[in-house]
Amino acid sequence: MRPFSYAAPATLAEAVTALAESGPGTKILAGGTTLYDLMKLDIEAPPAVVDIHRLAEIAAVDTTRPGEFSFGAGARMADVADDPVVRRDFPALAESLAKAASQQLRNMATVGGNLLQRTRCGYFRGGPVFPCNKREPGSGCSALGGLDRGHALFGGGDACVATYPGDWAIALLAFDAVVDVIGPRGARTVAIADLHVEPGDTPQREHTLAGDELIVRIRVPVTPSGRGSTYHKIRDRESYAFALVSVAAGVAFDDRGVVEDCRIALGGVATRPWRAPAAERVMIGERLTEATARRAGEVAFAGARPGTGNAFKIELGVRAVADALRIAGERAVR
Amino acid sequence: MSTPTRRVDAREKVTGAARYGADRTSPDLAHAVFAVSTIGKGRVVNVDTAAAEAVPGVLTVLTRIDPAELGSPGFVMGGGYGFQSLQPLTDDRIAYRGQPIALVVADTLVAATEAANLVRAEYEAEPVTSDLDAEGAETLVQEEAIPLPFLADIVVGDADAAFAGSAVRIEETYELPRQHQVPMELIGGVVEWRGDTLVVHEGTQNAGALRGGLAKQLGMDPAKIEIIAPYTGGGFGQKNSLQPHVGPLALAARRLGRPIKFVMPRTQTFHQASFRPASRHLVRLGADETGRLLAAVHEVDQQTSRHDLFPSMSTEITSRLYGIGHFRGRQRLVRTDVQTPGFMRAPFEHPAAFAFESAVDELAYAVGQDPVALRLANDTDVDPVTGQPFSSRYLAECLRRGADMFGWAGRTHEPRSMRASDGSRIGWGVASGVYPASVAPAVARLTATSEGKVTVGVDGHEMGQGIRTAITLLISEDLSVGVDDVTVDVGDTRVAPQHLTAGSWGTATALQAVHAALRELRKHLNVADSDPVDVGAAVAATGQTSVEVEATTIAPGQPPEIIERSRAGLVAFAGPVYPGFTAFSFIAHFVEVRIEPTTRRIRVPRVVSVADCGRVASPVTAASQVRGAVVWGIGASLRERSEVDPRFGGFANATMEEYPIPVNADIGEIEVGFVDKPDPMLNPVGVKGLGEVAMVGVAAAIGNAVFHATGRRLRRLPIRIEDVL
Ligand SMILES: Cc1cc2nc3c(=O)[nH]c(=O)nc-3n(C[C@H](O)[C@H](O)[C@H](O)COP(=O)(O)OP(=O)(O)OC[C@H]3O[C@@H](n4cnc5c(N)ncnc54)[C@H](O)[C@@H]3O)c2cc1C
Repeated sequence: MRPFSYAAPATLAEAVTALAESGPGTKILAGGTTLYDLMKLDIEAPPAVVDIHRLAEIAAVDTTRPGEFSFGAGARMADVADDPVVRRDFPALAESLAKAASQQLRNMATVGGNLLQRTRCGYFRGGPVFPCNKREPGSGCSALGGLDRGHALFGGGDACVATYPGDWAIALLAFDAVVDVIGPRGARTVAIADLHVEPGDTPQREHTLAGDELIVRIRVPVTPSGRGSTYHKIRDRESYAFALVSVAAGVAFDDRGVVEDCRIALGGVATRPWRAPAAERVMIGERLTEATARRAGEVAFAGARPGTGNAFKIELGVRAVADALRIAGERAVR
Repeated sequence: MSTPTRRVDAREKVTGAARYGADRTSPDLAHAVFAVSTIGKGRVVNVDTAAAEAVPGVLTVLTRIDPAELGSPGFVMGGGYGFQSLQPLTDDRIAYRGQPIALVVADTLVAATEAANLVRAEYEAEPVTSDLDAEGAETLVQEEAIPLPFLADIVVGDADAAFAGSAVRIEETYELPRQHQVPMELIGGVVEWRGDTLVVHEGTQNAGALRGGLAKQLGMDPAKIEIIAPYTGGGFGQKNSLQPHVGPLALAARRLGRPIKFVMPRTQTFHQASFRPASRHLVRLGADETGRLLAAVHEVDQQTSRHDLFPSMSTEITSRLYGIGHFRGRQRLVRTDVQTPGFMRAPFEHPAAFAFESAVDELAYAVGQDPVALRLANDTDVDPVTGQPFSSRYLAECLRRGADMFGWAGRTHEPRSMRASDGSRIGWGVASGVYPASVAPAVARLTATSEGKVTVGVDGHEMGQGIRTAITLLISEDLSVGVDDVTVDVGDTRVAPQHLTAGSWGTATALQAVHAALRELRKHLNVADSDPVDVGAAVAATGQTSVEVEATTIAPGQPPEIIERSRAGLVAFAGPVYPGFTAFSFIAHFVEVRIEPTTRRIRVPRVVSVADCGRVASPVTAASQVRGAVVWGIGASLRERSEVDPRFGGFANATMEEYPIPVNADIGEIEVGFVDKPDPMLNPVGVKGLGEVAMVGVAAAIGNAVFHATGRRLRRLPIRIEDVL
């Protein structure tokens, strides 16, 4: 860890000013469970930190307005995961948080910071021993030809195959969430689908926010497929592990029992949160059966490009999609 | 006396009153951090410390120590004291990634950490060899490389001929990964000088070796070195000898005139301390059509380092599991570029039993026999290697009682024949475990006061296994004093030599010494040898306020001088072969696995384990030992593997987050039973060992259950989701 300057503004307005006035490389600090961790590993070395962890203004959860749930960026993961309304009306959202990290981390970490967590690729986190284009642009990618059991099947390339590790963004992506952002140049709204980017030739760039932009809240349209939803996470142990494969799925049926809305997004297998629209289309207009669900899974994983140690995640993923659709279907109102 | 329902130090531990090595802070404490090698092998050409030294608060940056000032501690398995012979910082050689290249000491931990990150080195790198079959790996026949009788290949009869002539033959190879101990308490503590006396507070299983090794390294009189380790927060073999950080810290503390605290970061514990080496086991079993075992061959290749030969003792147990007339073992060591591997709970026995007990299950299926019945039919009362009787052997009872408790009779033999209502495949597996019952020399000094208090200082280390509780119970039951009136001092070189506590000999060793001291005390107090004693009154009757006695005990057949080896901090245990008898502990494990129908997650909802460890000295902590070992067995067979990228050497998943030890949610019901029959020959308290036998066979029982559930025989650990998809 290197020395850095620290500011803890009392209001959102002050925070925006502090970010505008601070120099390049300044980092927003929320729960710190990613940022401090990477600072201790000497991977992030911000000269200045602006702490927003105690800003009550951006910590509210609102599930009372019609048509939309709103989550302040500063809300704790644990609070949203345990919210009874979210659990009832949007199980995929609650489960994506409940199945992430550990209780201690969820008590500390925020739903805004969660979106911008960085990859758990061991070569990235391992420091200068390993070439890594994300950490040291141009140095190479050690995961290619290396230990890649946890690496991406989708969205990777010659520069980087590191997996986007978060769970929450997968669920948000399936349900077309947006994030409201504020910065020195004003406020704007970014679709979650446009927040994260594939590595391309610049794997060090992971999202589309400017360094001085602050996520204020996350908004999710409430839909019937939200009630009939699940976040199905397959991992190496039953808790406290990132996904090998995860699936956010939502289903809504018409009155004949035919699928009229279907949402499928994948985690643990792509360089960014990964929506599977072609798989969703497989289901729409069909009945949800073992066969159609399996077919959706196969379509979802059709374009997968495995490395040396992660090909098993294709079949695992296909089955996880099918199971997720079944669980979601059981929850959907018929 | 009523048996306490909790360990005697539970309250101290839960409330944080128990003080571990690193808790020994003082106002002028300085903090140390090591900078480590980023290459896996080669030479360090230059270390640039300018930026590190410029960090405010940095007191010193040490990159090279004259070997005359700090010699090699010697390798613990080669007559020395260290987990390895190599002492970092004493020359330019890099033998493994993560080897220290500089020691930074600063006023604060933050400054020391920042400075260590700023140390830059230039290297001449050489290619790294990591795997057993990789180019550059050097394979040695153990009995030729280390000509010591107890490391020689075990040969009984003519196993190859008997195998060739057997009607049923099983021949398979099993592979086990590198694994790490990952104890909760990190390695380290506080090193300080009090005048010309060196005092080390550090969690260890072997305070004696810390003292003896530091004396050797620093050229000091051992009498001027004190090791204080009343609590060790988990050792599991990783803390069984002198670690190479202590010597440099002692030198730096002397130069700076300040105590130094060092807590090794988790990732460095994967590289700067021992681990379970990779191993490969070829097993051949020859039997008749009924499954009666006639011959066994067990050949082992086990990883070691370039600089030390960490031996394998895998066949010591596989030759004793059953009454097999012909046995041939062969153990080979494979040199790779790594720190020296070492002992990790059931170091050889867990891998060996996975291989052998999987093969026995394969035999049961080859001959169409029930796996429990086949094991019972091959039991023996006689040690097949020496022809001597076992001091006690209740393996058959473990199997029978375990089968009963588990409900084994309800099992259908065919693989894939049992299914749960949710569609999960159910598999039931069994395996036996055995582990040598060793004993070490020990000294117990017992003081009784006219207030009725009893204090004992004895060889032994409390690392969570419950030795303090077992000793307290012995004294409390023997004298009829309350457990609160008993104080036990262990892990402290000021009260006893502190021989290594490992190999499951700790309880038997300490209890036999304390038992002897109790007999001495009764003589001094002039009371009968067994009746309850009013200790306070008996002491007062002597006209003194306290009475102190001392007893020294050794293992059966050891010469009395052996205690001098222990006093020097050297390994001095004996067993499992004693004059006239052979002593082992035994266990049987029964496991249920359930494998999901689609995504195929493997779950272990219940395990039943029944152990023969002689008399159960402390019921609460004994059951806890077994449960912990079963949990570890689940981790070791379904999850844990220390990953290596051979291009870089070192270990890739070197954090608690990435190294997948099980979490609570992974663990189901674990039911523990004990035969609880005293061993009449080993020692007067009738106690054998438990901590390690408890883990032996768990992995095989799980693998056998996975076979029963799926029909797939998986011979490489860990068994993961991709293996059963
Ligand atoms: C051991 C471990 C296991 C974990 N397991 C999981 C898991 O299984 N699943 C999972 O999803 N996550 C997991 N996590 C990640 C964890 O959920 C994230 O670290 C956490 O959600 C980040 O939130 P935070 O508030 O602590 O963010 P910080 O660490 O404070 O910030 C993270 C990043 O977001 C930026 N940031 C924070 N808030 C804002 C804002 N309002 N606007 C703009 N930028 C912002 C920061 O500048 C920083 O770059 C795990 C973490 C650890 C340490």
